[in-house]
Amino acid sequence: MNKVLGNKKAVFWFIAPTAVLYSIFVILPVLWSVYYTFYNGMPGIKWEFCGIDNYLRIFKDKNFTKALIVNVKYILIVTTGQVCLGLCMALIFKFWLKRFANLIRTIVFFPVVLPTVAVAQLFAKIYEIQPHYGLLNSLLDAVGLENLVQPWIGQASTALGALSVMDIWTATGFYAIIFYGALLDISDDVIEAARIDGCKAFPLFRLVLAPLLRPMIITCLIFSFTGTVKMFESATALTGGGPGGATKSLSMYMYDTAFTYSKTGYGSVIALIIFLICVVGSAIIRKFEKPID
Amino acid sequence: MKRKFTAALLAGTMVMGLMATGLSVSAEENRTFKILSMWAEDDNDSGSILKDVTEAYKQENPDFDYEIEVVSSDNLKQKIATLAASNDLPDVFAYDAGTPLIELIDAGLVVDVSEKLEALGVADQIDSGAAGFLTNLSLTEDLYALPLGQNIEGFWYNKALFEQAGIEAAPTTWDEMLEDAQKLLDAGIQPFAVGGADLWPATRILNAYVMRKGGVDFMDLAYAGEKKYTDEPLVEAAAMLQDMVDKGYFGVGATTVDMNTAANMVMNGEAAMIYNGSWYVSSLNSDANAAGEDGIGFFNIPEVEGGVGTITEYSMNCGTILALSSGKYDEITDGWLEYFVTHVGNYAMNEQGSFRGYTISEMPETVGTYTQLVSDELDKVTGSSAWFEAAMDSELSQIAQENVQTLMNGDMTPEEYAQSLQDIYDAAH
Repeated sequence: MNKVLGNKKAVFWFIAPTAVLYSIFVILPVLWSVYYTFYNGMPGIKWEFCGIDNYLRIFKDKNFTKALIVNVKYILIVTTGQVCLGLCMALIFKFWLKRFANLIRTIVFFPVVLPTVAVAQLFAKIYEIQPHYGLLNSLLDAVGLENLVQPWIGQASTALGALSVMDIWTATGFYAIIFYGALLDISDDVIEAARIDGCKAFPLFRLVLAPLLRPMIITCLIFSFTGTVKMFESATALTGGGPGGATKSLSMYMYDTAFTYSKTGYGSVIALIIFLICVVGSAIIRKFEKPID
Repeated sequence: MKRKFTAALLAGTMVMGLMATGLSVSAEENRTFKILSMWAEDDNDSGSILKDVTEAYKQENPDFDYEIEVVSSDNLKQKIATLAASNDLPDVFAYDAGTPLIELIDAGLVVDVSEKLEALGVADQIDSGAAGFLTNLSLTEDLYALPLGQNIEGFWYNKALFEQAGIEAAPTTWDEMLEDAQKLLDAGIQPFAVGGADLWPATRILNAYVMRKGGVDFMDLAYAGEKKYTDEPLVEAAAMLQDMVDKGYFGVGATTVDMNTAANMVMNGEAAMIYNGSWYVSSLNSDANAAGEDGIGFFNIPEVEGGVGTITEYSMNCGTILALSSGKYDEITDGWLEYFVTHVGNYAMNEQGSFRGYTISEMPETVGTYTQLVSDELDKVTGSSAWFEAAMDSELSQIAQENVQTLMNGDMTPEEYAQSLQDIYDAAH
């Protein structure tokens, strides 16, 4: 092996195909976007050089700031929710679930395979208030909490929360399966030894399981983070970014500027910022990774 | 045996493939006529018209090959921009009238339809009202698009619910309408339904008030910079809408209801009034209309006290239009265009009972009550205004629609709403 990898030519030929594909499909479009950022208008219809105007615009664009804040909130809520709930689910699978284990795991995983648009339709019905109460409002009404009946996705104060609940529900199963796999990998001897030493449930998790699961937690956080930075389809399908932009993410704002407002250049600047957020965010999460010693 | 069959199949495919290549090279003049649409081909609306009239043309001209591509309305603009950039616009495509079309006209990408129709001798096939409306929107003397609808807009109401609340006649002033709304509310009936989730139904109510208070050209003048969005008519309209929501006239959570649901609510007697266009007639004519053949009435936007607008001025709408690519235009387009404009009026009237902005030579003997109602209203028109966002560029239009939800929810004052439009306008001009 060393001999092969010592050969520079061989290394080159191993890397070349992937490097070419990666350049064509990732690096080139990114550079292309950078080139777009110096132009105004839309290629083909109106297209003129404008220097760094698009970059300066970012700083006084209130809608951009608004979308950024929405996006950050969404990332914090959904990433935490997905990973924590996924982990809890996995622990339940491993330690409590005795009967119907397969069935329950399947049910928990089920939302992952549903198309986003279908899920959004489902939740729109659950949150419905007019003309008829949906599931949630009917329940609240039935148990005597009429004052809590409200247009969940129709008001700025609850729309983002309602959307987050939906996205957490959808993805929890996915993380549960990943964590469950990791838990199965932990040798029963370790757990038994801890138990013999008198370890109760919570210390067992904190002192034994959590450190062993650490790489998996980091991986899942990165998965969830990159997924939520892109926040687009679920919000588009459930609320369309409304009410009044309360659930409009950076990607949605980018789409609007580039394709609806015919400002491809400015849209590209926003795209670059999303790209940077992804890179920086992932780097921060990886800081928590401990070097393997 | 199986292998032989596969071999034969493969050989067959190859021969066919070669033939197809040969054909496409030799048949340069028999190119496929491309239509880009945003409606399903069997929607019993614009999609059916486009498909059926073109198919009828093909029946008469077997050499004519066409293909209809359907994209969602959200993607239409992006798709057209991409195709325009690669100089590959389809022969005919659906598009938005107003500012978006003006951009294409300025770039020389679409055909001067008036000129072509004149040359073909069929210019009289387009209804003069519809043509005038379109040229007003495109700010040109000539027509650069084909209409696909001729709609009036106004308030539709459920007659049974009005009766139940003791309302005898449809209101003629805005104040009367509000009094009626209060009566309905007191009788336990939701006065209005609005598709607030779809945004445009909400801004139409603003538009209704603005055109009565500030005149039919207020929104045009505001975009031209001669008026301001922060002027009285718009601020008052915004305050009016917010107040109506606060009083519960639209029910709870009006921003979550989509337009289809809202339209059904009025037919099902779950709400008394709705602002809608005459395209509503196709739903009203269908069996799904629980209110029956005479259960829904119409009244034009009521007059506002102290306003300049009058009751014979209507908010009108030409629907999404059809534009023709100037790069592809040839005899094949000529043939289709001539057939389309001469047949679409009758087709739409006879098959769907709808007015599409074309001359109708054969009126069916009996038309439904709702079609008749629209026909009667169309006769009364003395002036018209386009919809709220017609004169706006796409950014302003989107902000106007997005913020109307914020306004309705009370998270924004009427002044802030008006200012938000003015800010976007000022930044772009």
